[in-house]
Amino acid sequence: MSLFLRLLQALSLLFLVGAATAEHTSNWAVLVSTSRFWFNYRHLANVLSLYRTVKRLGIPDSQIILMLPDDMACNPRNAFPGTVYSNADRAVDLYGDNIEVDYRGYEVTVENFIRLLTDRLDEDVPRSKRLGSDAGSNVLVYMTGHGGDQFLKFQDAEEIGAWDLADAFGQMWEKKRYHELLFMIDTCQANTMYTHFYSPNIVATGSSELDQSSYSHHADNDVGVAVIDRWTYYVLEFLETQVTSANSKLTLGDLFDSYDMSKIHSQPGVRWDLFPGGEQEGRLRTVVDFFGNVQNVEIENANATDPGSLKEDLAEIARLVEKWRKRDEEYSSILGNSSQSQSQGAQSPTVHLPSKKPVGATKMAEDGSWGKRLVGLSVVGACTAVWVAGSILGRSA
Amino acid sequence: MTSKTGDHESPHASATLTADTKPRAQRVPPPETPEAIQARFRVIAAFWAVIIFLGFPIWWKTTSIYRAHLPIQDMADWADGKTCRPVFPLEIHVAAPTMQLPESQHLVRTTQHALDDLNEFAAHHLRLKLTNDTEASTAPSGDDNATAGITADDGPDTALTVRVVPQEGLATPRSELRADTTQLDIFYPPSQAPVPSSSNPPLSVFIAEELQRLYSEEKATIAHILSGGTAGRDSETISRRLRRSMKYADTYHLSFSLFTPGSAPSSWHIEAAVQEYLSPLLHAFAPISNFTIDTQVQLYARFSPMTPAPVYDEAESAWTLKKEDLSAFINAAEWPLNPSIGSGPTLNFILYVPDPSQSPMIVKENRASSWIVPQWGGVFLLNPPLAQASKGGQTNPAHITQESLRPAFMTFSHQLLTLLGTPTTPASLPLRLQSLIRVRAATLLLSASSTMGSLARLTESLPSIPIPATVASSVSTTLSHLSSTCSHLRGGRFGAALASARIAESEAERSFFEKSMVGQVYFPDEHKVAVYLPLLGPIGVPLLVSLMKELKRLVAGWKARRRSTA
Repeated sequence: MSLFLRLLQALSLLFLVGAATAEHTSNWAVLVSTSRFWFNYRHLANVLSLYRTVKRLGIPDSQIILMLPDDMACNPRNAFPGTVYSNADRAVDLYGDNIEVDYRGYEVTVENFIRLLTDRLDEDVPRSKRLGSDAGSNVLVYMTGHGGDQFLKFQDAEEIGAWDLADAFGQMWEKKRYHELLFMIDTCQANTMYTHFYSPNIVATGSSELDQSSYSHHADNDVGVAVIDRWTYYVLEFLETQVTSANSKLTLGDLFDSYDMSKIHSQPGVRWDLFPGGEQEGRLRTVVDFFGNVQNVEIENANATDPGSLKEDLAEIARLVEKWRKRDEEYSSILGNSSQSQSQGAQSPTVHLPSKKPVGATKMAEDGSWGKRLVGLSVVGACTAVWVAGSILGRSA
Repeated sequence: MTSKTGDHESPHASATLTADTKPRAQRVPPPETPEAIQARFRVIAAFWAVIIFLGFPIWWKTTSIYRAHLPIQDMADWADGKTCRPVFPLEIHVAAPTMQLPESQHLVRTTQHALDDLNEFAAHHLRLKLTNDTEASTAPSGDDNATAGITADDGPDTALTVRVVPQEGLATPRSELRADTTQLDIFYPPSQAPVPSSSNPPLSVFIAEELQRLYSEEKATIAHILSGGTAGRDSETISRRLRRSMKYADTYHLSFSLFTPGSAPSSWHIEAAVQEYLSPLLHAFAPISNFTIDTQVQLYARFSPMTPAPVYDEAESAWTLKKEDLSAFINAAEWPLNPSIGSGPTLNFILYVPDPSQSPMIVKENRASSWIVPQWGGVFLLNPPLAQASKGGQTNPAHITQESLRPAFMTFSHQLLTLLGTPTTPASLPLRLQSLIRVRAATLLLSASSTMGSLARLTESLPSIPIPATVASSVSTTLSHLSSTCSHLRGGRFGAALASARIAESEAERSFFEKSMVGQVYFPDEHKVAVYLPLLGPIGVPLLVSLMKELKRLVAGWKARRRSTA
């Protein structure tokens, strides 16, 4: 019995150690609106409000992937050109002059979204369009649009199923592309979207249950359409009024407790079971674990002398530089008089960094163009032959 | 039938026709001619032939998913660590030029015993080897050794050379690590010269402890990595250091940027500075990673409006930045720091020259002028001597010379070392780089193996995902390079091990992130029915009915023939 107890103790100790090291090193946010057209103004405003909040709490633009399928600011119907507001008081221009949209217009597709999550992108895709998260990253995924039972519509043309989303997160987990993931979705029947998730460390929350609609909050009479959805509005209200700084200690539990069904008009849902430790543990995560950014800047103490400190490294690097210079001189003295003049120069580079060649235009897919032409020619020839033969035979018959 | 249409068209004629209708209704249609039956059979057969021989193969071909065969079991075994247990046998040469052969052999043997007793982590162990070739042992210098592993195929790399030299006037043995080579000098008082009879001479114990101390950080790091980040001594500091450093990449882009809020300085002697101060270090890193370098000068670079402004400190007579504000120092939104070049990660090094009205600028807490942003890069505040402007104010110099870039580039070099995860001990750069080679080899071996395991699980769990042939070939390349990494590690050839681990890692990443492997459309079965039914219903029903009719006719004919023969 005592042995068993000790074993338990050891196990709990191990667990504690594990928990102590479970700390994330970077934050990423993927904010997706999936609907187009002017009357869906509120979906873009939802996303832009979230974008503003995560930026305010410290996630840099390079770690925010913003997907906007339409450009409301420049829509001809917009009475306030160049701006997007999520509130009828029009206090905060969400579009501002400092916004980086990574996927815009028809780039927002199911395929691109899944490729983004799983990083199965072409090599040429710029880094600003990639989710560069790793095993230490906390990822916030926020989606909004029109959805239904276990699907979310993208751009009126296609839809993403709850299965596809679950598989994408599953692959992210397999490749260690997140540490913890907070999935938020504001759409009709939103809670059905996270029912198929199976990979661990995910907290999911949605705006409405199966067979429930998710409603807009209010309309701006001058803009002419609804400007924000209810659930997002109250989430934002919590984030804006209570999470005022990046050092906020408010937890996810506080955020989810702030849901008020009488205000939201639908039943928001939370899924904890994928999170290690379940609801109890998950509730303790702070809001800024997902909405903020960790960046522990390390100042180098110029006076410290412990191993690996700046001073010691500088001495070693200086020695290395010195040695290289000596080797340079030896090398050129071996080469003899011809390079004597060169070694006199202060910088006689022996380490040639690869010089860049200017890239010119090249013809793509040059190979096999003649072969293709030949194939085309023979196909045309065969067709003509068949036609001629047919017409001759037809006449004789 | 005809009578009915007749009714409608010509009611007058109905009387004349009624006499005819009755016998007509009972009349059997004329028997089909055998030719017509034959033709109908042929038509139906032709339809079915097209369906079976053309339609079905096309449907099969266009809807089937190509899945190349993958050695799932092997991949899972690598991921579980069943195939390879990485070991790190370091070969250390001992040279004792002044000793007799039996004495030095005895010294090596007893030191080895002492080392083995001290070692707690079996995967990483030191193997001593006696060399009498003293000339050769002094010759190899630091970076030669770091690169030697690539070319030497047969013997293990020499990690360290220990020279044991007697020295007069010493009470106890003393050690000295040559900072620019991989040589450890041990000086001992002649009175403590090892005697073959003693089983545990103090000199051996001393050497063993020195070596143990030298490699303790590396050992702890490797133990930390192999255990998956939970076990090992100093776990907290090591994981902190690992968190700070970049993830391994084959190519890093180094981006050096000069930012200044005003119009000056507008040029810097960057090319010579890089050549002079940085390329030796990059050359030393050549076996580990490749580097590309970009530089830029950005004038009129303002802080973001959210950044707290620097405060003038009377005591320091300088403008100071608070430590907690440093993370907001970089104006990520407006400073063009996210160049999308190539596939590797970018390390940003920022040289910030403050406005003359805010110069000199330092960090409040410890008067430092540089800091590291983990996994991102480093910042250096350069306060050049101000020049008197013609209008009376002070200006920054228009050009920054190579010499004044020296402290900045030395700091950048240090930050680069830190960001690339170089261990902090021992105090010799060649040894630290060698140590980094082993650490990186271990990391890559594990990460490539775990990618293989992920891919194997993915293939099994997602049957709808296509697996092109290129993935299969990448997987086989990865597996073969993984096993060669493992055997190189066992043989102590760490440079070669890292070289094949790099290939294994890049192939593993390529196979996992294969572009065409996007199982983006999951169709539940009811969706499939919904897709196929409108298409196949109208075509399928007449075809099936006609087939059944034809079969019925054939069976009836066959039965009739049997009855007639019976």
